[in-house]
Amino acid sequence: MTLVARWTLPLFILIVLTVRHDPVVAATAVISNERSGDIVFMDEAGKTTDIIALCARPRGMAQRMSVGTLYIACSDDGHVVEFDVTTKQVKRIFPNLPGAMSLAIHEPSNRLVVSNEGLATATVLDITSGELLATLATGHEPDGVALTTDGSKIFVASENAGIVHIFDGKTYEPIKRLITNLRPRRLGIRDKELWVSSEMGSRVEIFDTTSFEKIDEIIFAPRGFRSEQLTPVDIIFDHSQTTAFVALGSANHLVIVDAIKREIIKYILVGRRPWGLALTPNGEQIFVLNGLSDDVTIIDIKSKRPIRTSRTGLVPHSVEIFK
Amino acid sequence: MLRYLSLLLALLFSAPAFASSLEITIITSASENRLDIGKSFAGITVEPHRPVLRAVELALFESSTLFETLGIETKVQQIELDTNKDFKDQLSAVSPSALVILDVPLKLMEELAVLANQMNIVVINVRHSNSYLRESLCLANVFHTIPSDSMYFDALGQFLVYRGWRKVLLVQGPSERDIERAQTLLKSLKKFGTTIVDQRTFSLSHFPDDRDKNKPEFLTGGVSYDVVAVIDSQKDYGRYLQYSTRIARPVVGDIGLTPKSWHFALERYGAPQLNERYRTFKVDERIGPQVTMTDAEFAAWSAVKLITNSINTRLDKGDLNVLSILNDPASQVDLYKGTRGSIRHWNHQLRQPILLATSQAVIAVAPMPKFLHPKHYVDTLGLDEPESECQLR
Repeated sequence: MTLVARWTLPLFILIVLTVRHDPVVAATAVISNERSGDIVFMDEAGKTTDIIALCARPRGMAQRMSVGTLYIACSDDGHVVEFDVTTKQVKRIFPNLPGAMSLAIHEPSNRLVVSNEGLATATVLDITSGELLATLATGHEPDGVALTTDGSKIFVASENAGIVHIFDGKTYEPIKRLITNLRPRRLGIRDKELWVSSEMGSRVEIFDTTSFEKIDEIIFAPRGFRSEQLTPVDIIFDHSQTTAFVALGSANHLVIVDAIKREIIKYILVGRRPWGLALTPNGEQIFVLNGLSDDVTIIDIKSKRPIRTSRTGLVPHSVEIFK
Repeated sequence: MLRYLSLLLALLFSAPAFASSLEITIITSASENRLDIGKSFAGITVEPHRPVLRAVELALFESSTLFETLGIETKVQQIELDTNKDFKDQLSAVSPSALVILDVPLKLMEELAVLANQMNIVVINVRHSNSYLRESLCLANVFHTIPSDSMYFDALGQFLVYRGWRKVLLVQGPSERDIERAQTLLKSLKKFGTTIVDQRTFSLSHFPDDRDKNKPEFLTGGVSYDVVAVIDSQKDYGRYLQYSTRIARPVVGDIGLTPKSWHFALERYGAPQLNERYRTFKVDERIGPQVTMTDAEFAAWSAVKLITNSINTRLDKGDLNVLSILNDPASQVDLYKGTRGSIRHWNHQLRQPILLATSQAVIAVAPMPKFLHPKHYVDTLGLDEPESECQLR
């Protein structure tokens, strides 16, 4: 009894201090979960703040930060929804997009590009009017989409064909097909470089966005994994575009790459089959979605250490983070 | 009699970097009635034996964008072999540069493989998983894209150990094939450290005195075990073991949890897209809607995809010589199973993950966690290089 009494006050103080010392919540992460059909809201500390049942198989997302809007591909419903992150309501639906998978937004021209996995096409839409601007024919299973900063070129990766299709951003005419290694998934644009993750080729290939020549490739080798276990998916760059982050899939690691020297900086162990990635707006943390273990690993970029792992919905696919 | 079915898929579009062609020949047997294979009492067929043609055409269809980009023409030829006529004469209709898929019964396959090797024709075994073929048919021009029995059973052995179901009761049929497969299964189970508590054989006899011996309750009684492994290649008797065992235990092997190379319910790794394409591709009115590829169809699909995917993985994108592709370690294939496949150079077997599935769901994909191999992730499945006695000639 005395022991309990003796410890009650210090314990109480300790609890109060712990609560007070919680970091100031500055950003909100939104995670789309394929299997559970919902989106999970999470604060920067990895605490779930809300869950919204959304649609059948929500996958790729893109955000327009300026207006607090998130675009989410509802693959099995065959549409993309415009979602208001403040009111947490669906504002609009862009219909007729079967198997909608990945999204990219070009803010200056107000365009949304959607890859339609089941149809072997990508669709370009005007965000304001919802008008269909173009349907771009691709190889089977188009996934990653990207536009150059000036909007003059659109890139779409066809997983099955092993091709990145390049289209003119104004006329929508096909310009070129880049033959990649197996299963090109996601695209990252850094200056005049196009980075392509080849999931079954276990590498990232880098192409010149003007000459379309292959410049280089980065092959990964974290300790204890065989080459074929390296299945890279998402690629993102930090704000200065000098560092790249790649989710290594079945190898259960995130890799940090010096984007200028194209050298590996560090492999960080995360959950099972990491693929979706997003940076916090201040660039201090990265959220890594683990598709097989249904969780998210939050990594502190400065120390390059995981700081927390939190549960997500089932089969987390993509993450976007808001201020 | 030769039946010649020719199909031109090629589309010459935009200025191709170079032009070349890819020919696939499928050999079937005129004397084989597929509808009779695996048919048991009351006309029930548990496993269909479909021709692999549709899977081959699907593989080519998938790569049409790549062919179009590179100006590659493709052609599929089907030869229905007359088993009463000279094989050499009939094989002379095969183009020397073609990839030949042997969709024929075991003995005929062995005979044709030897002959094809003499004639410098490259052939693929897509139907026969017999492990001995990987040791006996060690021919420079012969490749296997269907997993071997060792691969299937190593996957099962790993799964049982992973689950901690280490005490196994083996129940097997009396046929030659059952005995061969039971030996392979025993080897796998011992390799990964399970204990065989007993090995029992059912008979398919209709002799009244045998009736009691074949009662599932008796066959699985009097001994303690974690799991029953059933070998029943005909899938006739074994189907009735599940839910009839003396003690309540899961059933694995040919019934219950089964090792497979492909499954309609695989949810990950892009598999739903491949299954959806297969379901809707050239639906054959006579056979009706097809839910999934059989392991033989998947093997034929994999063989063609290995050739077309190699265009993406090899440096020389203009080289469509099938033998040089199959022998090149840089040739890799995306199998929609999370890990790419490639050819084991020591016995020409396609290495690949194996699915452990019930009739309705994929429970696990082997290799199971913690089963590690020093070189290749999936090489804990099947005959590894040091074990193989294959001397390619």
